[in-house]
Amino acid sequence: MDATTRTTPGATTGATRGGPAVHAVGLTKRYGSTTAVDDLHLRVPAGEVFGFLGPNGAGKSTTIRLLLGLARPSAGSARVFGVDAADVERAHRLLAHVPADVALWPHLTGAEVLHLLAATGPGTDTAYRDELVERFALDPGKPARTYSTGNRQKVALIAAFATRAPLLVLDEPTSGLDPLMEREFRRAVAQARQRGQAVFLSSHQLAEVEAVCDRVGILRAGRLVEVASVADLRSLHRTEVSASYTGAAPRLSGLAGVEAVETTAPGRVRFTLTGPPGAALASLAAADVTALAVREPSLEEIFLDYYGEGGSGEQVRP
Amino acid sequence: MTGLAWRQVRRGALLVVLLAAGVPALIATTHGRVFADPADVAGLRAIAADPAIRTLFGEPLALADPGGFAVWRSGTVTAVLVGVWAALTTTRTTRGQEEPGRWTALLAGPVSLRGTTARHLGVLALLSVLAGAATAAALVLAGTDPAGAAVHGAGTGLLGLFATAVAAGTSQLFTTRAAASGAAVAVLGAGLLVRMVGDGVGELSWLRWTSPFGWVQLSRPYAGDRAGPLLLLVAVTAVLAAAALVAAGHRDVGEGLLAHRSHRPAQRGLLGSVEAFALRRCLRPVAGWSTGVGAYYLLLGLTAVSVTGFLAGNAGVADMAGRTGFTGLDRVEGFTAAVFTLLAVPVGAFAAARLAAFAAAESDRRLVLLAAAPLTRLRLLGAEVAATTAGALVLTAVAALATWVGVAAAGGGLALTDALRGTFNTLPVTLLCLGVAVLAAGAGLPAVTALGCLPGAGGFLLQVLADSVDAPAGVRGLSPVSHLAPVPLRGVDWTAALVMTALAVLLALAGAAVHRRRDLRC
Ligand SMILES: Nc1ncnc2c1ncn2[C@@H]1O[C@H](COP(=O)(O)OP(=O)(O)OP(=O)(O)O)[C@@H](O)[C@H]1O
Ligand SMILES: [Mg+2]
Repeated sequence: MDATTRTTPGATTGATRGGPAVHAVGLTKRYGSTTAVDDLHLRVPAGEVFGFLGPNGAGKSTTIRLLLGLARPSAGSARVFGVDAADVERAHRLLAHVPADVALWPHLTGAEVLHLLAATGPGTDTAYRDELVERFALDPGKPARTYSTGNRQKVALIAAFATRAPLLVLDEPTSGLDPLMEREFRRAVAQARQRGQAVFLSSHQLAEVEAVCDRVGILRAGRLVEVASVADLRSLHRTEVSASYTGAAPRLSGLAGVEAVETTAPGRVRFTLTGPPGAALASLAAADVTALAVREPSLEEIFLDYYGEGGSGEQVRP
Repeated sequence: MTGLAWRQVRRGALLVVLLAAGVPALIATTHGRVFADPADVAGLRAIAADPAIRTLFGEPLALADPGGFAVWRSGTVTAVLVGVWAALTTTRTTRGQEEPGRWTALLAGPVSLRGTTARHLGVLALLSVLAGAATAAALVLAGTDPAGAAVHGAGTGLLGLFATAVAAGTSQLFTTRAAASGAAVAVLGAGLLVRMVGDGVGELSWLRWTSPFGWVQLSRPYAGDRAGPLLLLVAVTAVLAAAALVAAGHRDVGEGLLAHRSHRPAQRGLLGSVEAFALRRCLRPVAGWSTGVGAYYLLLGLTAVSVTGFLAGNAGVADMAGRTGFTGLDRVEGFTAAVFTLLAVPVGAFAAARLAAFAAAESDRRLVLLAAAPLTRLRLLGAEVAATTAGALVLTAVAALATWVGVAAAGGGLALTDALRGTFNTLPVTLLCLGVAVLAAGAGLPAVTALGCLPGAGGFLLQVLADSVDAPAGVRGLSPVSHLAPVPLRGVDWTAALVMTALAVLLALAGAAVHRRRDLRC
């Protein structure tokens, strides 16, 4: 593992380059009559870990292909630190990529693939790479054809994390990893963030997104329907409140942000709350509340709302 | 599933069936013209009897018969065509699908690996049967004896079946399509070589009983029509196919019976850049193709002295040969010039196959990791083209070297520089093949290999067909091969060479331009 150590563009210099890590303006990709990505406007600053979520076929991978210049936009533009994505020779010096479905040259061993990617890539910290090989428990001596899906993914992940490129573009990188490796992945993302690397992470794993991302963008049918921090996403959504009381039934209906009021038992009420809770709490206080339970929606519930599986098929917005 | 197999092979199948059936039938129809002049007939008989010509074309069994004449002139070529096509198609649709994991989903269904293999082999077998039946039918339509037509058709079809069975076997042994294809083609090549030696050397004629090509010949179409050797071929084919199916039932999906080392130390040579990596991936194919091309040209070199000596002693025959398009065959330079012009067929096919491998890396998504590196599209494609060109140069040199060694071993005189001039004279056609393949791969078209073979193999076939039916010169002139001067007999036709090279460069540039602008399929 003594492969080429090359002058690595320090991640910190990324921040001082000509623009945000990812900048999409009106980015659109049409395939015949399908519009895979529809007028996408997105800005991911240097150093941020950005989660990119959306149901199957939403256009996540297509967006990434446009970012990498593997496909050309039908309209709009994508820039990586201010460099047009089509100028791959310059743009790719600033990024490393893990594709959704990693395919490797079957004859090469893992070590040989890592060597090749280090030699052709944007510069690799070989010491850190060797550490990652240990941490991800990869056996680098086996020919790639004998690797499982997860092991192929590990090779690409190790190669990407070992670069000092200021942007990592990862397309569902943990879909084949076991929970132990998933934990290593989260550690590696955290370390990348510490070094100032931005991470563009497409994922279906909400727990992972919640754990590692600063902000998330939600894509649906090619359109960006929300960009927010995980905490903000929560606050934008309904909280479920249950209360037991001994006094007169609280008057909740009609209060701002209160919906789906339900008397579950005599002296028990349940409702959903969006926005500031003051009015609802005041009303409850008047009813001599004996017990109060507030349940935050799980990220999953939030996303089900966005993905349109929550019943109405329409995304639920506050 | 049979539908899936059929969709993968139908286009090539159509072409092969048309050629296998059309070429002998066309030649049979020219028989009357060739045999109109008794002097020509005598000359032809003399040429056909020469050991070296026998080596290449097989034993002339019934030249006086239109069918026998067609079998003599085209039998070896169509047998090789059908055999190689059947072998490569078999490895492509079986191991070639299994290797990148495309069978994993298929095999999740109720059908086992053996069942899947059997169904694919069924479709492929049907195609060989079709090719044989079409050959027989076309020869009957051309007015030849139906019994002979049936025997020749059966022989051609059976050879295809044999090749399919062999390739099915090698697809069980090896984990990669390249290895399975290489092994299958090597078996066919060895069989052909054995047949050639058996035909060329009188004392060794029994060798023909050990080769499938020999059995086809020993069935004596239009000259006795013997079924015995063909039944032998049927039996061997059945055993091979059965063995392949048994093997398919005893292995895991994606694995081969030949265990490969599961662990090895890293070999970091030629991994330092895309150019180096392209070269690294090229080494094995170059070694394989070199072996084939080298063996073939060594054989031709060995026979050159005998053929030319014979023709030099028979002025009439040499004259006649001259009139049928073989000029200067009475000199080693002339004979080698004639065989050198064929070199663009295999070397062009090599170039096309390399670019097809590049296209496959794109559709298998292997290319993504390199495409995500700071490398322009031009460098990705250029690396492949550079490595392929280097490989083509090696093959071209190997052919010259092998011929030179062969001629020298047979006691003849051919300067190494002349041999090199002769083989490198074909480079413009090879480059045309490469140019077309670059355009096809650059534009993301399917069938890169087939398209890339058009100038070389396609041109050669066109020329043979045009000669067979006395087509107008314009038709023959469409073939790039027809514009190659007979070097070293005469000097290089620089105008033609430069025009073809310029055209090749333009094609490659067009390919690079399209490649730069389009979406990658990964
Ligand atoms: N090359 C292509 N040709 C035609 N349509 C395409 C092509 N690539 C993608 N699409 C279409 O674009 C849409 C978005 O696909 P994309 O792969 O980007 O989705 P995704 O969000 O990555 O989904 P997943 O979560 O399943 O990976 C889909 O409707 C898909 O069918
Ligand atoms: Mg995707």
